[in-house]
Amino acid sequence: MSSNRAARLGEEIWKTRIDKVSAELVTLTYGTIVAQLCKDFDNDYIEVNKQLDRMGYNIGLRLIEDFLAKSNTMKRCSNFRETAEMIAKVGFKIFLNITPMVTNWTNDNKQFSLVFEENPLADFVELPDDGRAQDELWFSNIFCGVLRGALEMVQMQVEAHFISDILRGNDTTEMRVSLIRYIDDELPPEDD
Amino acid sequence: MSNLQPSKSSSAKEGLRYPSSGKTIYTRPLNRTKNAEISQAAFAYLFGEMISYAQRKVTGIQDLEKRLNAQGHPIGIKLLDLLLFREPARTQVRPRTIVEVLHFIKQQTWVHLFGRQADRLEKSNNADTPEEYMIIDNEPLVNSFISVPKEMSQLNCAAFVAGIVEGICDGAGFPARVTAHTVAEGEMWPGKTVFLVKFEIEVVDREAYLGDRK
Amino acid sequence: MSYHFIILGTQDNPLFSYVLGTSKQGGDGQARFPPSAAHLNQFVLHSSLDIAEEVQWGTGHLYLKCIDKFFNNYISCFVTGSNTKFMLLHQPTQQGPGVTTRSSAAIGANPTSPQTEEAIRAFFQEVYESWVKTVMSPFYGLNKEIRSPVFRQKVAAAGRKYL
Repeated sequence: MSSNRAARLGEEIWKTRIDKVSAELVTLTYGTIVAQLCKDFDNDYIEVNKQLDRMGYNIGLRLIEDFLAKSNTMKRCSNFRETAEMIAKVGFKIFLNITPMVTNWTNDNKQFSLVFEENPLADFVELPDDGRAQDELWFSNIFCGVLRGALEMVQMQVEAHFISDILRGNDTTEMRVSLIRYIDDELPPEDD
Repeated sequence: MSNLQPSKSSSAKEGLRYPSSGKTIYTRPLNRTKNAEISQAAFAYLFGEMISYAQRKVTGIQDLEKRLNAQGHPIGIKLLDLLLFREPARTQVRPRTIVEVLHFIKQQTWVHLFGRQADRLEKSNNADTPEEYMIIDNEPLVNSFISVPKEMSQLNCAAFVAGIVEGICDGAGFPARVTAHTVAEGEMWPGKTVFLVKFEIEVVDREAYLGDRK
Repeated sequence: MSYHFIILGTQDNPLFSYVLGTSKQGGDGQARFPPSAAHLNQFVLHSSLDIAEEVQWGTGHLYLKCIDKFFNNYISCFVTGSNTKFMLLHQPTQQGPGVTTRSSAAIGANPTSPQTEEAIRAFFQEVYESWVKTVMSPFYGLNKEIRSPVFRQKVAAAGRKYL
């Protein structure tokens, strides 16, 4: 599916088939989750990143079904480039009403970046001024887990991590996504 | 002299870094996402994860509800001022009576978070508990995504919302304990929830004193 | 006029402090407190707290206006929804060589004129906006000291604009 078609599809689904809630309810809920994790793990931000990724993974496993139903695209994307477009222009659009930019492909078409102009999870957020959080915490790390979990359910093993974040004082918020391999069809996906 | 930076931040390497665009929380208009929307699903997934994470940390249902309450509490304190700020400057009014604070919760807060007012406010009929009030929601939005396992049928995940309510009461100077209770009403409202607001006795006393003074 | 602005938490704990002078009517924005004023100001501001708490239950408005006077010090107060207090001590410059007073109602001269009252209202309202932004961060907890240099700049800018 071309980038434009994916964008139109995302827009259409968002407008017609999505039940909505106050964005700030989501923002505040995510904020309190991260703040609680920081408290529970005594500001061990590396561990907080892991926990967020794990939560995201659980979400991803369940979310994919919802995504496929809403987007009516049971057929598998024909290549990883198409997958990237679907993630950015349909996936992020219909769940969070944002469309991160797909960019910085490697020549082998196995790695790309999502660049977030907007990020509702991070609205209102300033990281703690403790000399560590800006070096260690990836506030929106839950996204990485969501992608990993969701794509695993459609036979793609990927690795995802943030490489920059406005909250850390970087000029962009950028996530790197790499395709490790297509999981063999005969193997049943891991049960959730 | 008194413009001294707080002593703890004396070390030069401390302090946050900011993007070269100069974007900070202070440059972002507070009303930018006032009416913004996101999918219910996004909320449901996050809320679900919040609950299952909390479950791993606790021993019983009460403990779990306490934890959900604690996660809502800071949101209440923040919302109180965010919503006040959004009133026109000349009509920004702090709630000064129990009824005003409950109305602020039933109206502004519920509308902002859930897109509609809470269904009803009630005062306890029991003369022995003049400090008890109830906010009633026939169908709490946050519960519509959660299926509670049978063995936990006591659990009401709107404890999170109770925490938000408690944060608003505490913040506004009406210290209270707030708990969420399922009070099913037949087929019509199986998830009907009562938020029991139990103000500290000093709040009731103050109200009587202020009322007399008028 | 010299100003000492502080933010106090719900336990009357200091969260922020900033000293400034009049920028209006040709003022240079520098405070002209006597050298001994730093501690005295804190003391005066704190002693007005009881009055602030009395007044705040009498009005629902966030801006309580000028609530107290101690010799030549005037105290204006603003209470947020969650009971954090903004307090501004203003002290007219007595034989101020640097400030030329053009009218007795001017912000720089008369601490109780309606113009001054409005100027302070505008100052508080602008600080309130920045303060709400501070509080909205999930990492900001009630009664935490505000250390952000950007917040400090915002307060300074509001002071230059209105006081």
